[in-house]
Amino acid sequence: MSFAPVLHSEWLKIRTLRSLPGTLLALFAATTAFSAIAGVSETSDPEFDPLFMALSGVMPGQIAAISFGATAVSSEFHGGALRLSLAAVPRRGRWFAAKATAIALPVLAVGPVTALAALVAARAGLGDAANGLTPGEQVRGVVGCGIYLTLMALLAAGLTALLRSGVGALSVLIPFVLVVSFVVGDTVGGATDFLPDRAGQVVLYETYDGSLGPWSGLAVTALWTAAVLLAGAWSLRHRDA
Amino acid sequence: MTSIEVRNLTKEYGTRRAVDDLTFDVLPGRVTGFLGPNGAGKSTTMRLVLGLDRPTSGSATLGGHAYATLREPLRHVGALLDAHAAHGSRTARDHLRTLAASNRVPQRRADEVLEETGLAAVARRRVRTYSLGMRQRLGIAAALLGDPGVVMLDEPSNGLDPEGIIWIRQLLRRLAGEGRAVLVSSHLMNETASFADHLVVLGRGRLLADTPMREFIHARVRPRVRIRTTDPAALTSALARGGHDAVEHEAGHWTVEHARVDDIGRLVSAAGVPVLELSSEEATLEQAYLDLTSTETEFTAQPQEA
Repeated sequence: MSFAPVLHSEWLKIRTLRSLPGTLLALFAATTAFSAIAGVSETSDPEFDPLFMALSGVMPGQIAAISFGATAVSSEFHGGALRLSLAAVPRRGRWFAAKATAIALPVLAVGPVTALAALVAARAGLGDAANGLTPGEQVRGVVGCGIYLTLMALLAAGLTALLRSGVGALSVLIPFVLVVSFVVGDTVGGATDFLPDRAGQVVLYETYDGSLGPWSGLAVTALWTAAVLLAGAWSLRHRDA
Repeated sequence: MTSIEVRNLTKEYGTRRAVDDLTFDVLPGRVTGFLGPNGAGKSTTMRLVLGLDRPTSGSATLGGHAYATLREPLRHVGALLDAHAAHGSRTARDHLRTLAASNRVPQRRADEVLEETGLAAVARRRVRTYSLGMRQRLGIAAALLGDPGVVMLDEPSNGLDPEGIIWIRQLLRRLAGEGRAVLVSSHLMNETASFADHLVVLGRGRLLADTPMREFIHARVRPRVRIRTTDPAALTSALARGGHDAVEHEAGHWTVEHARVDDIGRLVSAAGVPVLELSSEEATLEQAYLDLTSTETEFTAQPQEA
């Protein structure tokens, strides 16, 4: 059994559930809207970072990416859907790889478009305050943002497979992303830089002074995501469906 | 591959044995009824055949191949395990098309099986608007999608209306007539009796019987003749001469146990007894099944060749 038909099937599953394309639309709308609001807000903060300010809509927007990944997998854990899927594709590792690919590709497409729209919207408000941004920094922010959102969606997908529950995965990830990182924040120092969300968000800043740079930060997030995806795949392979 | 081979199949969940050393075959060209009380291990056996659960020991294969090794398995085996497997927010047609895509089954098959299961008119409605009977039909449509040689249906008549029950009976007969191996679980005896050729009966995970249905019934329920007459005295004396006991019922008819209608008919007509009605009372699968399960503890199963 080859990979392409399985991927086709998983892609159809995402496309034919109205809530999933809707979640991607929400990702675009929320990120752009919050960035636009940030663009017209007070910018007198001495630690003001124009790139992060422009892309700050990603902070609430990533909730949509996380929901997308979690929902796409959790739809398999209702009423015997997983059994039907695995009866059609008994190679479970291949099935999960196709599922993850079908989740990653649309986020990878929507993510940079969203980041670009957010940047444009925010710059309209920021005006001169953002003039110091080089084209290179802006491209890095937009591309990095797309990768970051994709990794967060996949992290949610892997966690959902591991916990066999979308609600479970969301109730771990959303408080984690919204609260834990901020609360623990600067108190612990260096270690928090390596949390999956904090590490990947370095790419959203014009200037960074932590132990991680934009790409090494994304690499750390990618390692987290890979570990959770593998754990999810392992659980899927070794448990009765 | 058009048969299922189950060999010494055992599945334990913790300390509970859901399936206990099962050995039987499901052969092509006939409908095998899979009987047993709830919790007897029927659904577990089906999941083991599909490689969804892993056996503790033993094996279940399809034409000698483990399910997980089949390329494009939907083309070989179609199964209905759970009518709620389809996502409520998808349309029936989309649901079938996603399944078809994974096994490179042509997309037109989705429309064909929707037609076949009587869902064509509601194919573009979301599954959450379906009744249980419609979901069952959709599950059966999914099982038929790849035109498989082996069809396994778990309680397919659940929730079907009387028309649906007649439909499924004809469908199962037709599938077997086309040379497919058909395994259908049920706990409805009369329903199973209407379509099965062969029976596999489970009790607490163990095999209690693996025999053709007619044999199963005749071995366990003795034949009985029902007779009505205007002259009870002549009837009883004629039967007594033939060595039969007649029992009178309140409704006015008599029954003769352990007798065949051929013998009783000759006997009473030779004696000139006026007969209003003479018929054999068909033993039912239900009687045979209850007889089997009541003696379950002392019954040791011997798998029989068909």
